[in-house]
Amino acid sequence: MVEVEHVSYAVGRARILHDVSVRFQPRKLNVLLGPNGAGKSTLLKIATGLLTPTAGLVRYMLPQGARALDTFPVDALARTRAVLSQHVEVAFPLAVEDVVLMGRYPHYGRTPTARDLEIVAAALDLVGMTDFRGRVYPTLSGGEQQKVQLARVLAQIWNEGESPRGQKCLFLDEPTSNLDVHYQLHLLEIARGLRDVDCTVIAVLHDLNMALQHGDAFFLLDGGRVVLETEDATTIPRDLLERVFRVRADRAVDSETGESFWRFRL
Amino acid sequence: MIPRTRRGHAGVYLTLVGLLAASLVLSAAVGAFTFTPARIATLTAQLLGWVPAAPADALDRNVFIQLRLPRVLLAGLTGAVLGVSGTLMQGLFRNPIVEPGLVGTSAGAAFGAAIVFVFGAGTFTRPLGTLAVPVLAFAGAFAATMIVYRLSTAFGKVHVFTLLLAGIAVNAVCGAGTGFLSYIARDPQARNITFWNLGTFTTADWRGVTLVAICFVVCFGWSLRAGKALNALMLGEEEAAYLGIDPRRLVMQLLVANTLMVAVATAMVGVIAFVGLVIPHVLRMLKSSDYTFLLPASALLGAVTMEIIDVVARLIIPPAELPIGIITAVVGAPVFLAILLRQTRQGGAWLQG
Amino acid sequence: MEVGERCPAGASLALEVTCRHQRAACYARNITLAPLPDSTTIHTLHHAFMSFPSPSIALRFRSSVATVALLAPFVIGCAPKADSGKPRVVSVSKQINEFIYAIGAEDVLVGRDLTSIYPPQIKQVPSVGYHRALSAEGIISTKPTLLITDGNVGPEPVLEQVRKVGIPVVTLAPGGTVDSAQALLTKLGQQFHREHAADSVLALWRAGMDSLWRDTVQWSGPKRPRVMIIHFGQMINNYLALKRGGSADAMLHWAGAENAIDSVGGMARLSPELIARAAPDVIIATDVGFDRYGSAEKFKTLPGVALTPAGQSDRIYRVDEQELMYFGPRTPAVVRKFAAWFHPSLYGGRATAGRATLTPGT
Repeated sequence: MVEVEHVSYAVGRARILHDVSVRFQPRKLNVLLGPNGAGKSTLLKIATGLLTPTAGLVRYMLPQGARALDTFPVDALARTRAVLSQHVEVAFPLAVEDVVLMGRYPHYGRTPTARDLEIVAAALDLVGMTDFRGRVYPTLSGGEQQKVQLARVLAQIWNEGESPRGQKCLFLDEPTSNLDVHYQLHLLEIARGLRDVDCTVIAVLHDLNMALQHGDAFFLLDGGRVVLETEDATTIPRDLLERVFRVRADRAVDSETGESFWRFRL
Repeated sequence: MIPRTRRGHAGVYLTLVGLLAASLVLSAAVGAFTFTPARIATLTAQLLGWVPAAPADALDRNVFIQLRLPRVLLAGLTGAVLGVSGTLMQGLFRNPIVEPGLVGTSAGAAFGAAIVFVFGAGTFTRPLGTLAVPVLAFAGAFAATMIVYRLSTAFGKVHVFTLLLAGIAVNAVCGAGTGFLSYIARDPQARNITFWNLGTFTTADWRGVTLVAICFVVCFGWSLRAGKALNALMLGEEEAAYLGIDPRRLVMQLLVANTLMVAVATAMVGVIAFVGLVIPHVLRMLKSSDYTFLLPASALLGAVTMEIIDVVARLIIPPAELPIGIITAVVGAPVFLAILLRQTRQGGAWLQG
Repeated sequence: MEVGERCPAGASLALEVTCRHQRAACYARNITLAPLPDSTTIHTLHHAFMSFPSPSIALRFRSSVATVALLAPFVIGCAPKADSGKPRVVSVSKQINEFIYAIGAEDVLVGRDLTSIYPPQIKQVPSVGYHRALSAEGIISTKPTLLITDGNVGPEPVLEQVRKVGIPVVTLAPGGTVDSAQALLTKLGQQFHREHAADSVLALWRAGMDSLWRDTVQWSGPKRPRVMIIHFGQMINNYLALKRGGSADAMLHWAGAENAIDSVGGMARLSPELIARAAPDVIIATDVGFDRYGSAEKFKTLPGVALTPAGQSDRIYRVDEQELMYFGPRTPAVVRKFAAWFHPSLYGGRATAGRATLTPGT
């Protein structure tokens, strides 16, 4: 579990987050929603430890107790949480398996162990990229590259059965923005699979319908504040959505599945 | 990285070491004086005291020990320095078209050395004595590199574009400074600048060799430990941070180590370009982009390359010698253009920071 | 020189002598041929001597076997390269090399610098490179017993490297005056045990200079022609104009001209503005720079030259760098050559190639 307590963040005169307090539960796909500039990515980066808040703190709840983020040594933190970014650019001809192996860097010193290599193979298998392991990364398509990055990130927080069982966190920062719908769904499916293994998954998603369809807990941000926290997608008020996103929103119901989704127009 | 390719790495290392040994012997043998391998062995044995020194060999021995051997060693060390430096820079800036020349290191070293050449007998250089040139070269290289670095980390991140542009600006300033100094220099001083500016190993002596060797061993050893971190840096600074690496500290440490190595080597032999650019690229094409491989391999390949270039420099217009910088430019510039073409064709990946 | 006269170079009288026409200079040289097994064979000592300013002289002496026998030990003793104890000298200075040939000590020369091309025979001596880009190994590989420089060498560490290997290095600075140049010649005479030859060369040189200074009066009028000397700097690959002060400028002065460049010291980079401001009446170009264009007509295409009085009246002349850049035994002849160029009225019309000069093919 990740606890964000009274976090504020400002750059110069611009205040990006105002006194945000949220709690991201484990075994759930926590989704951050909001328009551009609402501060979702900033909040995510503060929760990962990349940015230091100007006020407030972040705590990771581990089995052995709560730990404030700023007390975490860098390598221990790297073994506890992993982040999948929107787009990772690699300018050099690296092999796919070498990219995934980088996820194990926080875990070994000079040379990777057999266990590390096993995990790399397993991670590739989980994302369905085993056949690509010898390929050169820059030659892959956007979707394939993103899956490789996901494999790397998974390898980083792979649950190795440590005792007591560590709780890992996976952060996804708009991971599907450049992907076609196939890859988007595939990625989200894998993310959902992860929460079943005692992992706290926190994602920033842009596509509202996809987020509502796949997520378990929703946090709506607007102007640096959390304006809605809910676990029930159906209870999201329409006028709130219209105000925050500055659109007209109509809820529709899929006649076959019975699931509701939103239609937007200006 | 993965075991099956690691065995391949061992093969490459062995080949490179073999090539190095061969090129060292070749370089020791060839020149205005020719020493056969047997002769080299004899003279080395005499040097080490295993065999009594024959007086008839005095001239040969003196030439071998005072002139040839330091030159061979200096060439190899310089090649290693430049090769490793190119690899480091490309890793730090995540760009395959980076080398010490681009970030202002070489130009700053040249400027520092030019100051000593022109104002040589001044009071501030006298206490330094013969160390004046390397010390001021380091000061110049360090100042130039730090200016570029500071300019490009204005808001807490290293922006590659800004870095490259700042490097161009600093290069221009240092180049203008050196040019001005050589313009106002009186004749003997100007001679030194123009000759040295193109790179040469003719003035190699044991003192210079020792200095460069110490700097190289220290800086190279230090940077070897950063192989994994440089790999992670290939993904980007944020990603590297997520993997537990402090990118800014890494960049700073490696920049200092790199600048020291390059400045001292440049102070001894002059400005040699393109080596740092080409060596890592060749190794990447042949084998792997893994920095734990690239760093030692580029040291070896750099040494081999420089020995061969030095041999060519000695053989082309005997008994005079061609400056090294000319050969590296003639060979390196087309390779540089080829790399550029390839990168542009592959898309703008290399432009990303 | 007449039969029976004492040869100033110290050679004996009853010898077959042929004079080789040299440029306006005086040399005494001994070339010995390797002694042939047959004792009746005549050794011929070539003795080139020319008294200034008359053209070529051929001298003949009857040869005598007895003289040969007398001279044989001297001859054998002077055979070059036959004796391992003989000095082997590398000299990387144009001036010193010219002087070495002047005093007849060129047998000891085993290496020269690239730009020493006078006298022409020196080109057979191997070059060790440009004097500002020397290589220690290149010098040492000629196995010299001595390296001589005039101080104008680079890179500096090379001298130290040569010393380290056990080869002595002597630096003889020529100084900037005729007196210091003459002192240099004397020094070289002592160095190579050719004092006698040196003395005779000096005597002629001094006589030449004295005669020159007497004649200078007639060339120096109230209105001196403005002369610009254009040199080509190989290291910087650019044309230069010689400023005042220095040997070339002194020669201009003695020839009754003044340097078209007003400032003192060294050389200035040539630019059209510089040339225009100087407005020389005569332009003298040194060999390398002139030969890049090939002819006086083509040389006028150097930017700025065509508009000068010199360019417009076609008064552009070629001179060898080594005649100009230092004082030597040829200086009197060179100055006279200049005088003929600068004061054509005194020499009856335009001074062109061959006329009233001793330098053919200008």
